[in-house]
Amino acid sequence: MARLLLARLFHAAVVGAIVATSVFLLLQFAPGDPFATALDGADVPSTVRAEWRARYGFDRPPGERFLRWAQALAHGELGYSASRHRTVAAVVADAVPRTLLLVGTALALGFAAGIGIALLQVRHHQRWPDRLLGALTLLGVALPEFLLALLAMTWLGARWRLFPVAGIGGLGDPAAWPLWERALDLLWHLALPAGVLALAVAARVARHQRAALLQVMHEDFIRTARAKGLGEWDVLRRHALPNAIGPVIALLGLALPSLVGGAVLIERIFGWPGMGLTLFDALLARDYPLVLAAVLMATLLAVVARTVTDVIADVVAPRRVRER
Amino acid sequence: MSTLLAVEGLCLDAMREASASPTSILRDVSFSLREGETIGVLGASGSGKTSLALSLLALLPPGIMARGRITFEGHEMLTATRGARRTLRGRRLSMVFQEPLSALNPRQRVGAQVAEVAQAHGERNAVRARRAAVEMLGRVGLADADRLAQRFPHELAGGERQRVLLAAALLLDPALLVADEPTSALDVTVQAQVLQLLRAQQRERGMALLLVSHDLGVIATTCERTVVLYDGRLVEDAPTRQLLRSPEHAHSRALVDAIRPAERAE
Amino acid sequence: MAAPTFQRLHRDRAAQIAGGVLAVVALAALLAPWLAPFDPTAQPDPVGLRLAAPSIAHPLGTDPFSRDVLSRMLHGARVSLGVAAGAMLLSVTLGTALGALAAMRGGWVDSLVSGVVDVLIAMPRLLVVIALVATFGTLSPWWLVALIGGSGWLTTARIVRAEMRDHLQREYVIAARALGAAPWRIVWRHLLPAAAPQMAVAAALALAAVIPLEAALSFVGLGIQPPLPSWGNVLLDGTDYLTSAWWLVLAPVGAVTLTVGSALVLADRLRAAIASEAREQ
Repeated sequence: MARLLLARLFHAAVVGAIVATSVFLLLQFAPGDPFATALDGADVPSTVRAEWRARYGFDRPPGERFLRWAQALAHGELGYSASRHRTVAAVVADAVPRTLLLVGTALALGFAAGIGIALLQVRHHQRWPDRLLGALTLLGVALPEFLLALLAMTWLGARWRLFPVAGIGGLGDPAAWPLWERALDLLWHLALPAGVLALAVAARVARHQRAALLQVMHEDFIRTARAKGLGEWDVLRRHALPNAIGPVIALLGLALPSLVGGAVLIERIFGWPGMGLTLFDALLARDYPLVLAAVLMATLLAVVARTVTDVIADVVAPRRVRER
Repeated sequence: MSTLLAVEGLCLDAMREASASPTSILRDVSFSLREGETIGVLGASGSGKTSLALSLLALLPPGIMARGRITFEGHEMLTATRGARRTLRGRRLSMVFQEPLSALNPRQRVGAQVAEVAQAHGERNAVRARRAAVEMLGRVGLADADRLAQRFPHELAGGERQRVLLAAALLLDPALLVADEPTSALDVTVQAQVLQLLRAQQRERGMALLLVSHDLGVIATTCERTVVLYDGRLVEDAPTRQLLRSPEHAHSRALVDAIRPAERAE
Repeated sequence: MAAPTFQRLHRDRAAQIAGGVLAVVALAALLAPWLAPFDPTAQPDPVGLRLAAPSIAHPLGTDPFSRDVLSRMLHGARVSLGVAAGAMLLSVTLGTALGALAAMRGGWVDSLVSGVVDVLIAMPRLLVVIALVATFGTLSPWWLVALIGGSGWLTTARIVRAEMRDHLQREYVIAARALGAAPWRIVWRHLLPAAAPQMAVAAALALAAVIPLEAALSFVGLGIQPPLPSWGNVLLDGTDYLTSAWWLVLAPVGAVTLTVGSALVLADRLRAAIASEAREQ
């Protein structure tokens, strides 16, 4: 357990270092810099360009810039975002909690819903609830999250006006609005993006969980539980589920990177100002330090979440038999 | 004494997927059991004896079709509603299985697995259910039951596991215990202890016992009556002593002859 | 060993339907020039025919530039499926080669390949591809194939490596080695056929992953460049008119979902066939 955690942390550090290095290298090949649009005109004197670029260190060789950047990173400094006129750390500090809120809510809701769906399917195995839910979860897996987001925004948001279609809400003047009203507004804005992402999670979890449950239902201890006179729900809940949930958590960990990818698009579609939206804005503005930080953070998020799921999966995995 | 269990014309057919013709597991099996009686079901592997045991609790896996009648305490087990079967299982008729390790939930403490039987049958008070479970674990011969109840199945020895299963089966004082090869997965020394425990509990409670085994020796020391299954048919139904002395069916004779040398040595 | 697994699939209803859908979509893409009623890039009447609702002449309506959506979807299938198929082939080939290399060589080669897979698989593929495309600017379809395919070999490599390592332990392979067969010969004659069903699963999964990726890239403006039609471009053209011309997005959404769903069902049924094959052995 402690060894697994250590190995995973090491893994996360390696991934972070590799991602940081490769993103930095990539951006060296990219044409233009943050000042390209502002400075590269014919009417700007070349001395001005050179001075501005020198001020932000863009005239140094790439190797030196990378070292300086890595050194700063080690001190928790991510550089200065020219497009936002703030430090990257400040931008990231604003955006990361919002992404965490979005992904965390979606994961929690989706996981619970997925397990519920799978239990219902196995309870009514090969009867209509199983088939109906099976068709729906297939649809949920086949329909990419960002397409579902578009559909939800069109109908639930724009046409029927049930939910706000953009932004994060909850940012009203703290003096004029009481805290709980701002919190409620935040949840109101969270509903669509988190709901869409949760559906995607639920569909994946349900399909894996159903398969895992069906496998466990062949085990002898399920028969024992029935022989004790337990109802079918209790058999499922108390005996099948605890023995079938471990692999599903592990699989979810493997699916997390693609989930983070989906979250990035969903943030863009719903204008949710988290790391995903920041990334797209930064890409458009060629704001390299911010791009770097956004990709780094998104990857770290995926890696950390994977670590957490691995540890949980290890804890809930059925105990191995120790022959004596 | 009155009849507790009656099996009449029981046929079991396995429906294999895709193949049209079902294979027969049991053909026209009939026998009955009085209250407090001990009966052995003797048969080689593949004779359908485990399926017979499972059908008594209506626990057959999907894909096995049953015809005929199984009457237990006036309930038609094969046609009873799911709720009716559920209230009988664990309370009026219980079962212990061949592989005690795989028959226990690997992720649940053994005390909880015993207490669960009481809770499934209306005990709301978890503390009381637990106390009853610990007491029962003590009565099936497990030392330090309080501590043992806190452990997981993989932490116990084979014999201890089977005792835990037995404790769960006996907790609510059932009228009939179905034991499917309860000792064949255990070491020989432990086998004898578990059999002895089974006999003692049966006598103490005046409970009926249906013991399924391939081992005539096990049945001979435990059961008053024996039925012999051969190729899905019931070929002999006789008091065990009579079976040992003069088996009628050729298959029974072969089984009896197989253990004769051991008896002579005694 | 492989053939019975695929034969099982022939008797599987769900697999038949999924395979049929994929075949129809692929056929539609191949025959697009003959099937499409209009030129996918022609703008016959940018004012009068703008955002026309579905009609007999235009079964899926027209887009903001008065182009026929059905024709754009059919020609878009050529581009989208072409990119997807190319990327899938590339990633399965790469994954198989590296997986086989890791399984056969073992030792540090195995550790290296497995380590690289382990690190890369933790990274969100979409982000990686977006970052790459954004860096290199807009890409031609060929580069897109290379990029998407080159980032997708991880799963295949994992699956193939595990499968081949398993078969390396089996007696028929040990016997072949004992007879002095060269490693490449063992891979070609024994391990590849044995891993074929698992490779088919990997291919179906790769297809299911690549089609949304292309659509997502086009959707954020980093994929196939207009006016070349692709499903993602048709989608992008529709997203600005979600309230006024909502049917525009339904065609690409439906096409992507149907194709991905069929690929997933195929992967699922293949896995089930492999499992029941293994049970019966």
